[in-house]
Amino acid sequence: MIPASAPVPVSFEDRMATVDFRVAADAHITVDGDACRGCSTRACVTACPANLFVPMADGGILFNYEQCFECGTCYLVCDTAGAITWRYPEGGHGVAFRRS
Amino acid sequence: MTVPAAPGPAPAAAPGPVLACRQWADRRADVDPLTGTVTSDPRSAAASPADDAALECALRMATAWGTHVVAVTVGPPGSEAVLREALAAGAERAVRVDAPEPGDAASVAAAIAGVAGMVGARAVLCGDMGWGRGSGAVPALVAAVLDARQALGLVDLATDPEQPGVVTGWRRLDGGRRQHLRAAAPFVASVEGGVALLRRAPLAGVLGAGQATIEVVAPAGTCPVPSWTPSSTGPGRPRTHVVDGPDPDDPVRRRVELLTGLTAERPARRVVRAEPVDAAHQLIAALADWGEWS
Amino acid sequence: MSAPGSLTASDNAASSDAARFDAVVVGAGPAGSAAALVLARRGHRVCLLERGPYPGSKNMYGGVVYPRILDELLPGWWEEAPVQRWVTRRATMMLTADQALTVDFRSEAWGQPPYNGATALRPDFDAWLAAKAVDAGALLVTSTTATGLLRDGPGGTVGGVTTDRPGGDLRARVVVACDGVNSFLAKEAGLYGKPDPANYTLGAKEVLALPAATIEDRFALGPGQGADFEIIGCTGDIAGGGFLYTNRDSLAVGVVLHLPALAAAGVRPEQLIAGLKAHPAVAPLVAGGELVEYSAHLIPEGGYDMMPTLTGPGMLVAGDAAAMCLAAGIWLEGVNFAIGSGMAAGESAAEALERGDVSEGGLSGYERRLRDGFVLQDHRRLRHAPHLLLSDRVQRRYPQLACDIVEDLFTVTNPEPKPGIGRLVRRRVASSGVRLRHLAADSWRALRTFG
Ligand SMILES: Cc1cc2nc3c(=O)[nH]c(=O)nc-3n(C[C@H](O)[C@H](O)[C@H](O)COP(=O)(O)OP(=O)(O)OC[C@H]3O[C@@H](n4cnc5c(N)ncnc54)[C@H](O)[C@@H]3O)c2cc1C
Ligand code: SF4
Ligand code: SF4
Repeated sequence: MIPASAPVPVSFEDRMATVDFRVAADAHITVDGDACRGCSTRACVTACPANLFVPMADGGILFNYEQCFECGTCYLVCDTAGAITWRYPEGGHGVAFRRS
Repeated sequence: MTVPAAPGPAPAAAPGPVLACRQWADRRADVDPLTGTVTSDPRSAAASPADDAALECALRMATAWGTHVVAVTVGPPGSEAVLREALAAGAERAVRVDAPEPGDAASVAAAIAGVAGMVGARAVLCGDMGWGRGSGAVPALVAAVLDARQALGLVDLATDPEQPGVVTGWRRLDGGRRQHLRAAAPFVASVEGGVALLRRAPLAGVLGAGQATIEVVAPAGTCPVPSWTPSSTGPGRPRTHVVDGPDPDDPVRRRVELLTGLTAERPARRVVRAEPVDAAHQLIAALADWGEWS
Repeated sequence: MSAPGSLTASDNAASSDAARFDAVVVGAGPAGSAAALVLARRGHRVCLLERGPYPGSKNMYGGVVYPRILDELLPGWWEEAPVQRWVTRRATMMLTADQALTVDFRSEAWGQPPYNGATALRPDFDAWLAAKAVDAGALLVTSTTATGLLRDGPGGTVGGVTTDRPGGDLRARVVVACDGVNSFLAKEAGLYGKPDPANYTLGAKEVLALPAATIEDRFALGPGQGADFEIIGCTGDIAGGGFLYTNRDSLAVGVVLHLPALAAAGVRPEQLIAGLKAHPAVAPLVAGGELVEYSAHLIPEGGYDMMPTLTGPGMLVAGDAAAMCLAAGIWLEGVNFAIGSGMAAGESAAEALERGDVSEGGLSGYERRLRDGFVLQDHRRLRHAPHLLLSDRVQRRYPQLACDIVEDLFTVTNPEPKPGIGRLVRRRVASSGVRLRHLAADSWRALRTFG
């Protein structure tokens, strides 16, 4: 048995699985991987609280929109014009908090 | 193969309204692993993708046949949310059968059949699966009560404006086969979630749906579902296939390797960026390389 | 309820008139619901538009509301507001790697009407407030995102919003933008300059389930009482802070991070939360809590100096959309400022509608109201707080210094006699690398900012 004092460990997948996402058919954020190739900061990669920006070996960025908090951090920290296209998902879709 | 689901479809001239069934259930109900107690939150309740697909099919069907859609749910007042969605998307009437507790398949089916009779619907559409993945028996039971034809578990559904009241579709059979169905009203059809994407309700529909009247009716009472005797209650035992094992004369180490595939050479992982068509070709090529595609 | 067979006519055909309103309020957060409630009470036809499936679904915060602003609008609100716990204990913690200095205050008075602050969950609280607006006659439309402004009135006057639904134009004589921190409507109207990441912080939090009795034991609370901990010195190289709040049967623990520093640091938000939870002063409080929801949201931290122009022709901006959240160290208050500014926007919009003048001039009562009330007075007084609090000395040096001095003070050095406090402080300040000149200047700034 886990002693009551131990922190309950959670993987990142389990962490995100606690959140209700009503995934829309279309991506509300798109990332132009080519624009990212010249980026030296890669600020989005660690700043995105949902860990949705995955750096690729070829210097591009792989982005998944499904588990996005719609917070806006990425477009604010990114200073490459045109790299991120950001809008809200279609109404009724996206994140739906229940206990925050 | 084409099998008429029932005696040859004599085109029913006036199919009446199309009834779209929608179940309101929590998509993320919490189940206590120790006690089995289910806690659900009405805020995460919604209709299932299959029910949404059924509504979309019903709306298209009604347009093709020049009739209208009636949406029905069996549930507590909170479940009217799924009816308002249907009204916003284009249903003309909405009926809730009042049921504070989730009922069993037979009583839900009896309630839906009661509403079909009440509104004169001879075409009933359901999703094949709710969030709760219950018995999945409701559509068949509705058909039994209404003495209607069944076209269940459809993966594709088509209607013809020239033949009001007739539906055609495909459904899966075991072993990767498909069955083509054709049914004339009265029928009950159920569809998988992928069959159609529910249209985005127009703003005018949403503004109107907020205040539209939802008819509330009492449950139909006792359930005239025929009783049946299960033919078998044992566990399913699929037949085994004989697979040749490694040569018993091989050394133990070699046999373990062969059985587990532990040391087998594995293709290196590759991440590729490609346009969809090109991506499909590359996937097929990779599968062929691995001997998984011929 | 009628028996099967008896029919009532239903009519859901919406004519184009149905999409015409006196006012459209965008966003059913606290600002929007307060504005819609005021407008509806004054007899105007109001549409309250929300992009989430229910009010509060897109909104997360730390965890404490200060609803006294509702005293007038909803007398007796405390009888029915969806409250988790009444805050009777407020503490500020300064952490270093292995030290903690806590200033801890309790008040039994805060546990009784009219109360002071309460922990509440936003999906509950926002839905409750939106329901009040609906009861007053507002039409709540959810699952619908405003995608832009209709600016076809004379002189580019705003005449409604476009939405992401087919046939989705919503016409109104006045638009109240309460669309939160990213407010694309205020940006589209040209009320903001180019957004500067230095004006924003990211909040990330975990909700950890624990039995109510355990929470009351650990935080030394009576039934229904709650605690509010603000924490500094827990975010490493990143300017920011942390928080720990008690809900009924869960804790909210999280961090608030200055965006430019977060972008540069290469550390992930959830790692910082994990670090905070592992601190020896925090770990025993959160131990055994099971993660039930992880969430993140931006805060317009810049305060007064980042506020946009508050009115345009046919349009008002309130709440986080107008950067009215007060995030100044020991204060993290946004919901009360959102309600306050939303009410002021609702009243000013109603006046303008009644006078038939929704031009910028006709709506100027809004800014006047805010200046006369707590919203802009508090903000103006604390305008330098964000800058001071996000500075390196306040973030890192001072917590270390304070903890060291107090550690010296309480460390018994027998057989050495106790050193004088003055000497202790001088010695620690000298070795901390903080210059007395800076300490004096920061104290003076703090006095002017907070005093
Ligand atoms: C981590 C964190 C901790 C905080 N802690 C506290 C605290 O302890 N106490 C406190 O008082 N405040 C706190 N705040 C601040 C507080 O949450 C905000 O100030 C407050 O929510 C602002 O209310 P609002 O109504 O202006 O905006 P929001 O609450 O953000 O509401 C905006 C609404 O508009 C909707 N919306 C946005 N765009 C559109 C669109 N285009 N169409 C339709 N709808 C749209 C959104 O879905 C949302 O419902 C905290 C904030 C954060 C992020
Ligand atoms: S999205 Fe912006 S910050 Fe991220 S890698 Fe691309 S250019 Fe850089
Ligand atoms: S909006 Fe926030 S959660 Fe979504 S991708 Fe950007 S940073 Fe990540």
